[in-house]
Amino acid sequence: MDYVIHSNPSYSVVEVTIAPGEQIVTESGAMAWMTPNMRAQTSARGGIMSGLSRAVLSGESFFQNTYESEDGPGTIGLAPGQPGAIFVYELNDDELLLEKGAYLASTTDIATSSDFQGLRGLFNEGMFVLRVSGSGTLFFNAYGDIQEIEVDGTYVVDNGHAVAWQPTLQYRLTKAARIRSFLFSDQIIMEFSGKGKLWVQSRNPRSLADWVFPFRATNQG
Amino acid sequence: MQVEIADNGAFGSALVHLRPGEEFISEGGSMFRASSNVDIDVTTRTRGSGGIMSGIKRMIGGEHFFFSRYSITDGQDAQVGLAPKLQGQVALIECDGMTRWLCAGGSYLGSGPDLGIDTQFQGLRGALSGESLFFLAVEGAGPLIVNAFGHITPLDVQGEITIDTGHVVAFQESLEYSIGKAGGSWVSSVLTSEGLVMHFSGHGRVYVQSHNPSEFGKTLGPLLPKRN
Repeated sequence: MDYVIHSNPSYSVVEVTIAPGEQIVTESGAMAWMTPNMRAQTSARGGIMSGLSRAVLSGESFFQNTYESEDGPGTIGLAPGQPGAIFVYELNDDELLLEKGAYLASTTDIATSSDFQGLRGLFNEGMFVLRVSGSGTLFFNAYGDIQEIEVDGTYVVDNGHAVAWQPTLQYRLTKAARIRSFLFSDQIIMEFSGKGKLWVQSRNPRSLADWVFPFRATNQG
Repeated sequence: MQVEIADNGAFGSALVHLRPGEEFISEGGSMFRASSNVDIDVTTRTRGSGGIMSGIKRMIGGEHFFFSRYSITDGQDAQVGLAPKLQGQVALIECDGMTRWLCAGGSYLGSGPDLGIDTQFQGLRGALSGESLFFLAVEGAGPLIVNAFGHITPLDVQGEITIDTGHVVAFQESLEYSIGKAGGSWVSSVLTSEGLVMHFSGHGRVYVQSHNPSEFGKTLGPLLPKRN
């Protein structure tokens, strides 16, 4: 497998070229273009329950597409639903946890499942994140730039900006250290602790939605 | 104190490195990452600005009511990452303390603790345009971080230049400026929807942004369900 990422991190799109016999698994809907010799199999990978847990619990697609090429190498362009960075991570018999919507594609020896985050998820992006495990190449994406942080001790990230982290890290939700803001609901932040890598995105889709909100027309006219 | 600008393509952000004893200020809520020895305090005050009333003035000016103030809890080095809401670049302005800077309402991202910040009201003409014509007056020496919607271009004015108000990010007060209409008359200004412009003259620097946030909002807003 060969790949090249264009326009990183603004409008990243990854072009993956595979040889016959190789496969690439993608988030449903990520395919933007492909050569005509690419064949897709759509399935709830890992079985119905796995598909269900992916879709219902982790906010990813029920179906994942597996692409392979016929009669020579084939190329597929994969683009996330939002403009932003694509990050490549080589898994070597280890695991990553991905926030909702961050999974883009992976090679076939990587399995995905949902991981319960507890009730704290109610105040966060969701009660489940995606657990990605195995060996191979993983592509994940974000809204905005992706920044890698080596955590050794503790590090805080605004809620909605965490994209992925190694399972050696734990996190808890907390409020900003000293709050005197009785007038408005303040930032909930994620405090990561342990030793491992953490990836954050430099924009938050929710902030954009909040920004657009006042531009809506009013019912009064 | 050192300010590092990351990815200055579509999604610029700033990473502020603080030494023990140093502090930093930002628009309320714009911290997206920080070392855990950073204390985030929410305040209406910056150096040289008043209390609650200036907070209200800033809210009218399109800014958050509050600033966030970052300080270090344990005497170690610290870092704070700041990001704007919209896509676009981030620029660092080193204020030299000689001339004040005026920063458009939505363009302020953060500043060093020695900079004083106050609101400048641009009067009724601002209200007529339907755009917020409020500027934060930034005084003193230190780093000022601004954000743009899209590409940010510094222009060194020697003479005159006219800029649509929606594209002004920040400018040095050494420049003379007046607010006027782009067309020949108010009617033609309204009809062509080229709202208000700022005429600058003299010597100084202006930062302009390639895109006008209000135009973007006006494109998206009508596509969404109405609000009550």
